[in-house]
Amino acid sequence: MSRTLMIVACLLLAAPAWAADPLNVYTAWPESLSQPIFKAYTAKTGVPINFIRLSTGELVARATAEKNNPRADLIWGAPGDGFAAAKAAGIIEPYKSANAEKVPAELKDPEGYYTAVAKNTLIFMSNAKLLKEKGLKPPTSWSDLLDPAYKGQIQTADARTSGTALTRILSVYYAFGKDEDKAFDYQKKLHANVQVYTKSGGGCTIPTAMGQAMVCIAHMPDAMEAKKKGYDTLTTFPREGVAAVIEAVALIKGAKNREAATKFIDWTFTKDMQDLLDKNEVFMLPTLPGGSINPAVQALMKEAKLLPVDLEWVGKNRKRLVDRWINEVIKD
Amino acid sequence: MSPAPAEAGATRAALRDPVLAPAVLLLWAAVALFVLYPITRLLLLAFWDGGPTLGAVRELVSSWQHRRALWNSLLLAALVGTTGTALGFAFALLAVRANLPRWVGGALDTIILLPLISPPFTAAIALIFALGPKGLISYHIFGIAALNIYGLGGTWLSETLTYFPIAYLTLKGVLANIDPNLEDSGFSLGARRWRVFRTVTVPLAAPGLANSFLLLSAASLADFATPLILGGTRFPVLPTQAFLQITGLYDMRGGAALSFLLLVPALAVFVAQRWWTERRSVVTVTGKAGAATAVKILSPGAVGLLGLVCAMTVLLVLTFYLLIVAASLVRALGADNSLSAAHYAHVFGGGLKAIRDTLVIAAVCMPVGGLFAVVLGFVVARTSFPGRRALEFAAMINYALPGTIVGIGYLVAFNDPPLALTGTAFILVVCYVFRYSLAGTRATTALLAQIDPSIEEASASLGARRDVTFRRVVLPLIRPALLAGMTVLFIRAMTAISATIFLVSLSWSLVTVRILEGITNLELGQASAFSVLVILLVYAAVLLASLVMRRLNAGSLGQAGSLLGG
Repeated sequence: MSRTLMIVACLLLAAPAWAADPLNVYTAWPESLSQPIFKAYTAKTGVPINFIRLSTGELVARATAEKNNPRADLIWGAPGDGFAAAKAAGIIEPYKSANAEKVPAELKDPEGYYTAVAKNTLIFMSNAKLLKEKGLKPPTSWSDLLDPAYKGQIQTADARTSGTALTRILSVYYAFGKDEDKAFDYQKKLHANVQVYTKSGGGCTIPTAMGQAMVCIAHMPDAMEAKKKGYDTLTTFPREGVAAVIEAVALIKGAKNREAATKFIDWTFTKDMQDLLDKNEVFMLPTLPGGSINPAVQALMKEAKLLPVDLEWVGKNRKRLVDRWINEVIKD
Repeated sequence: MSPAPAEAGATRAALRDPVLAPAVLLLWAAVALFVLYPITRLLLLAFWDGGPTLGAVRELVSSWQHRRALWNSLLLAALVGTTGTALGFAFALLAVRANLPRWVGGALDTIILLPLISPPFTAAIALIFALGPKGLISYHIFGIAALNIYGLGGTWLSETLTYFPIAYLTLKGVLANIDPNLEDSGFSLGARRWRVFRTVTVPLAAPGLANSFLLLSAASLADFATPLILGGTRFPVLPTQAFLQITGLYDMRGGAALSFLLLVPALAVFVAQRWWTERRSVVTVTGKAGAATAVKILSPGAVGLLGLVCAMTVLLVLTFYLLIVAASLVRALGADNSLSAAHYAHVFGGGLKAIRDTLVIAAVCMPVGGLFAVVLGFVVARTSFPGRRALEFAAMINYALPGTIVGIGYLVAFNDPPLALTGTAFILVVCYVFRYSLAGTRATTALLAQIDPSIEEASASLGARRDVTFRRVVLPLIRPALLAGMTVLFIRAMTAISATIFLVSLSWSLVTVRILEGITNLELGQASAFSVLVILLVYAAVLLASLVMRRLNAGSLGQAGSLLGG
C-alpha cells in the first residue's frame, strides 16, 4: 500500500523542471561570492547555471560517490588541495583551456587536471576593541601569536575539515624555510593559545568580531567579509609571509554537458571574468596576468609577503601533514 | 509463552493469509531496498577490498583519536542520559505533583518543546553566544570572561538542554499514571515525605526513568551537530569523527568503518530500551486516579527548590531563543544592532524555493511514512509472521546510524541506473521515511498493547477480511499513533540535516541546508531568520496535531513529543 503511494509520489515529483540545458556546478565558495559570477555568465551566454554549495570535503565525497553517473559537470571555486584529492580519486579529467595559457605554471596542475581561478591567502584578523583594552598591537609576525597575552584568545581552523587550516600549516612551513619539524613545533606552541579550532575556515571571523576571541587566522575573503558587515576589526599580515594558495576549476570526468563546461572554463580565463573578482569584492587575486585588482586589495597586498606553494608536493603530502597535525599538535 | 504447536499453526495461517502475506512481502522489499541494500554497499566499501579486509578497522584502532572518540561517545551518552533524565524528572514532578495552575503547565510544555524542534546547529550557536567567552550570560551578567565551553562541558550542557524535554515528556506520562493514593497510603502509615518518595514514587517511576535514560543516551550517541560545533579538538566523538574522516581526510572507507563502530553501542542501547519498555507492565487506565485530597508528596521547600531549578533552565532556554530572534531582526548582531527586515526579505525572496521544496517533501513524507509506520507496527504487534522481529530490527537500522553514513550510503547505492534516484525529491522522501518512521511504529505497538485483540477477532469472526478489519477497526483505533508518526516525520523533515546534506540536489533544496549555509557563510542573521521560520512552522504543526489528538481523545501534546527521541 505504502509502496504504491511512494511510486506515485516519485512520478509526481521526479518530473524534470528544466527546459534549457543548464550547466551543473559544485562550488565551495559561499553563495554571496559565487552566484554573481554565475549570473554574469548566464546573462552573457543564456546558459543557466545550477549550483550547490558544499564544503570541499563534502564536495569530493559526493562527486566520488557519483563517479559512475556524474551529476555535475564542473567543480568551480574550491581550494587546490581538494582538487589534488579529486585527481587521486579519479573524478576529474584534464582540460587545458587555450585561454589559461598565460596563467603562470605554478598555478596549474602540470597534467592539466585543474587550473587556478584565483589566488587566495591568509590574514590575521583582530578585534580592535579587545586589543585596545589590553593595550596590544595587532600581530605582525607569526611569533607575535605565541605571546601569553593571547592565551585562549585565538580562533583558527581545524585541519581535518578546513582548507584554511592547510593554508596555515603551509604558510608556517614556508615561512620557516621549509623546515617541517620547526613548523610543527611552532603549531604546537600556537596550540597553547588557541581557544577553539573551527570546522570551517571562516568560522572564526564572526565570533572574533563579536569579541569571543582576540585574533582569528582566516582566509582573506572571510576576514574582509566580516569587515564589510561593519564589525570593528583590524587585518594584518605576518612579516615572515603567508602561503599563496589557489582556488581552482576542473572538469568532472564523464560530465554530461562537457562542451558547455569547457566553454565555461574558457570564460573563466578571460579578462571579463577575472575582473569580476575585483568588481564583486571577492578579495582574492586574479590568476590571469593583467586582471584588475581594486585599490583596497592592492593596499592590503603591499604588506603581504606571498610565499609560492609547490602544488605537487602539497598534493602528495597533504594527508601526511594533516595526520601529523592530529597526532602531534592537538594531542594533549 | 504460548505452546509451540499453536504458534506453528498461527504461522501457517499467517502465511496463507491473502492480505497479510503480500503486505509483509512489500514491507520486506521496501526495507531490503532502502535500508539493507545501502548498508551492504557501505559494508563492502569498509570491509571489502578484492576480498574481506579488516585494514580499515586496524587503522582505526591504532589511532588515539578514534579510541578516545569511542570512549567519549559512551561517556557523553551516559552523562547526558543521567543529567537529562534528572532534569526531566524535576520538571515532571513539578508539573504533575506540585498543584501548579493550569496555565503554568501549558507554558512549561510550550517552552520546553523549543530545543526539541529547533533546526540543528542553532541551539549550539546560541549557547556559544549566551555562555561562551564574552557571552551574554557568562560575561555580561556574571562577569566571567575566560569560560571555555568547547569540550566535554559545553557539549554535555548543550545536549542536556536539547534532549531533557524527551525525559520530561516521557516521565510526565509515567508520573501521571502513578496514583497519588499510593503515596497517601504511605503517609497514613506514618512515613515522612522523603521516605515515601524514595520507597513509593521512585520505584514506581523506575521503568520510566530507565527508559528515559536510554532514549537520551541514544539521542546523544547519534547527535552530530552539537559536538561538531562545541566539541572542539579536545573532545572528539564518533559521529563527528566519521564525518571528519570522510569530508576532511577524503577517506570514505575509514568513515564507513567508524560508523559501524558506532552502530554497536547504538544498537545495544536500542535493544536495552526495547527490553525495558516491554517488561514494564502496561498500565491500563481504568479511570481517573482519584486523589481526593491535594497531592502532598512535595514539601513547600521541595517545590521551591524544583521551581528554582526549572525556572533557571527555562530562562536559559528562553535566552537562547531570544538571541536567535534578535539575530534575525538586526542587521549584524554585535556590530550594527539597528532593526532590519533584510534577513526575512532574504528568506521570503531567495529562500522561498527551499521553503517550498521542504514543505512539499514533508507533505509527501507524512502520509507515506505514517502509513508505513502503522502497517509495520501492526504486523509486528499483532501477527505471528515469521521474521517479524527481524523486520522490525532492520527497519530501525537507518535511525540508529549516523546521518552522514546513511546519506553517503544512499548516494553510493542510488546513483547508478536502474536505481538512479539521486537528484530527485524521491530520494529525500525515502530517506526521511525510512529514517524517521520509527516513532510512528513504536506508538502503534504501544497503542496496540493497550487494545484487546478480541475486538479484531470479533471483526474477523463476523467474516471481515484482514484488510477490511485493518481499515475499519484497527486504523480508527490507532489513529493517534498515525498522527503522532506523521507529526514526527514533519518535524524531522523540517529540521534534519546530516543525511540529507548529501542528497539535496540542484533541483531540490532544503531549509536546513540553507541554515547550514548561512552559518558557514557567516550570515548569522539569515540563518536565524530561517530558524525562526522553521520553529514557527513546526509549532503550528504540533499545535494542530495536539488539537486533533484531543479530538481523538488520546492524550495530549506530550504523546507526540515523547516520541521524538525514540
